[in-house]
Amino acid sequence: MTRRGLSNDGIAPYLFLAPLLLLLAAFILYPVAMNLVASFTEWKGYGPMKWIGLANYQTMISDQSFWTSLSNTAILVCYIPVSTIITIFVAALLAEGLRGWKAYRAILFIPNLLGPVIIAVVFSIFLRGDGPINLALKWLTGSTSPFLTSPVYAINVVGIVQIVWVHLGFGLIYFLAAMSGIDRSMYEAALIDGAGFWQTFARVTIPSIRFAVEFWVVFSFIEVFARMFSFIYTLTQGGPGYGTFTLEYGIFVQGFAKFHSGYAGAWSVVLFLFCAAISVAQIRVMRRRNP
Amino acid sequence: MRNAQSIRGEVRIFVQIMMILLVLASLLPLYDVVAASFKSGDEFLVNTFLPPNSPIIDNYVYAATSGRLLRFTLNSLILVPIGLVFYIAVCVSAGYAFGKMRFASRRPLLLFVLFLMIFPQLLLATQVFRVISILNLTDTGLGVILTWVAYFAPFGTYIMTTYFTDMPYELVEAARMDGASHLRILTTVMVPIAMPMIATIAIIGFQSMWNELPFSLLILQTEASRTVTLGIAMMKGQYGLRVPIQSAALVIAMAVPLIIFLVFQRYVTLGVTAGAVKG
Repeated sequence: MTRRGLSNDGIAPYLFLAPLLLLLAAFILYPVAMNLVASFTEWKGYGPMKWIGLANYQTMISDQSFWTSLSNTAILVCYIPVSTIITIFVAALLAEGLRGWKAYRAILFIPNLLGPVIIAVVFSIFLRGDGPINLALKWLTGSTSPFLTSPVYAINVVGIVQIVWVHLGFGLIYFLAAMSGIDRSMYEAALIDGAGFWQTFARVTIPSIRFAVEFWVVFSFIEVFARMFSFIYTLTQGGPGYGTFTLEYGIFVQGFAKFHSGYAGAWSVVLFLFCAAISVAQIRVMRRRNP
Repeated sequence: MRNAQSIRGEVRIFVQIMMILLVLASLLPLYDVVAASFKSGDEFLVNTFLPPNSPIIDNYVYAATSGRLLRFTLNSLILVPIGLVFYIAVCVSAGYAFGKMRFASRRPLLLFVLFLMIFPQLLLATQVFRVISILNLTDTGLGVILTWVAYFAPFGTYIMTTYFTDMPYELVEAARMDGASHLRILTTVMVPIAMPMIATIAIIGFQSMWNELPFSLLILQTEASRTVTLGIAMMKGQYGLRVPIQSAALVIAMAVPLIIFLVFQRYVTLGVTAGAVKG
C-alpha cells in the first residue's frame, strides 16, 4: 500500500486509539505488571504488601501441585497433534465434496457455539455413572469407567472433549476455507497422474495449507495454556484431587480461595512466560500472512 | 467444495457412512441432555438414556423460574449487547487508526496490542478485581462490560486493522483532499464499506462475551446479577440438583447461541477464518 501525499496525521491517531489503549493499560498491562511485583511479596490481595524476595518462587518449586499443573498441561499439549491430524483429515474428506458436507460442518460446529461452560455441564451429565457411555461399557466389558472421578481419566476427558472434539468443528470451517483456496488445476493434474486420496492428500493438500496448519497449532497452544479455565472450573473444579489442576487453576485457588495473592503472582509469572512465548510465535505467523 | 474427487466407488460410500456416524456420535451428548430434560425424576431413574416415555415440561418451568434461568438469560441479553456497542466502537476506531492513519509509533503500538491478545483471564483476574473495586464497580454490569471490552478488543482490533489496511488508500486520500476529517471519513466512507467485517467481529464479540466465565464469576457477586453462563456454571456446583432439571436449564441456556447461529451463520463462518484465532 502506498503512503504518499499527505503527511503525518499528528495527534488524531492517538485520539482514535485512546479508548483501546486506556482499557488495555488498566485491565491488561497494569495487572500483568502488578502480578510481577506481587510475586516478590506476601500479600492478601488487599492491604499492604510485604517484600519477601524470591520466597514465593521457592515455595512454588517445592509445591507438588505446581508440578502436577505442569504435567497436566503437558498431557493436554499431547492432544494438539491428535486434534490437528484428525481435523485436517476430516476436512480433506469433506473437501472431496461428500454429500451434505455443509450440514456436517455446521453440526460439528455446535459445541463451539455453546461455549465451554455449557459443554462442561453437558459432559458431566453424559459421562455420569449410569450415563449412556457407561451403560455401553458395562454391556461390552462388564464394568464402568470413572471418567470424572479418577484423576487419570479426568485430564484425558478434558483433552479429548475440549481439545479434540470441540476444536474439530472450529477447525473444519478453518481448514475447509484454506483448502478451497488451493488451485484446482493441481488436483486435476494429480487425478490425471492417477493419484489416489492419500497421494493427493500428502502431495497437494498438505503442502498447500502449510501456513494454515502453523496458525492452527499456535491457536491450539493458546487454547491449552490460556483458554481452559472455564471448562475445567465447570467440569471438575481442578479435581478430582489435583487431576485437572492447571496453572490457571492454581492462580484461581491461591488468589481467590486462599487469598495468597503474592504466591498466586509467582504462578502468574510462570504462566505469563509461557503465554508470552506463544504470543510471540503467533505474531510471527500473523505477520507472515499479513506483511 | 469439490476439490479433489480422488475417492471413488465403494470407498466413497463407506466414507459417507462413516461421516454420518461421526456426526451422529457427536450429537449424542446433546441428545442425552435434551432427552433427560423431558423426563420426570422417577422416569429418569429407570430410563436414563432412551427418549422419554411420558414427556413433561415441569423441569423447564422449574429451571426457568426457581432456577432463575430466565432472569440470567435476560441479564446476558442486556449486558452483552451494551458490551458489543462499546466493543465495536473501540475496535473500529483503533482498527482504522492502525490501518489507515500515519503516525510514528504505529508499528510498535500495533505489536503491543497483538502481544496482549492472548493472556488468560486468570493471569489478570486478581488485579482486574482490584481495579474494578477502586473504580467502585464491583457487582455492576458496567464493571463486567469494561473488563470484557478491554479483554476482547485486541482481537477485534486486529481483524479490523487487517481489513482497513487492505482497503485502497485512495479512498482516504480523496476525502482528505476535500477537507474531510478522519472521523468523518471513518463514519461516512469506511464504516458503510466495512459493514460485513463489522458484523463478523460483532459475532465474535458476542460469542466471547456470552460465554465468558472468569471475569463475571469474580465481578458479579450477587445471584440476581449473574449472566446465563455464570448461572449455569454455579448450578453445576449445587449439590443434589437433579439431572433432568440441570438438563432443562442447559437447553434454555443453549437457545440464544443457537438462534444467533441459525440467523447469522455466514458471519459465524467468516469469524472463524477472519483471524484464525479465537478472542
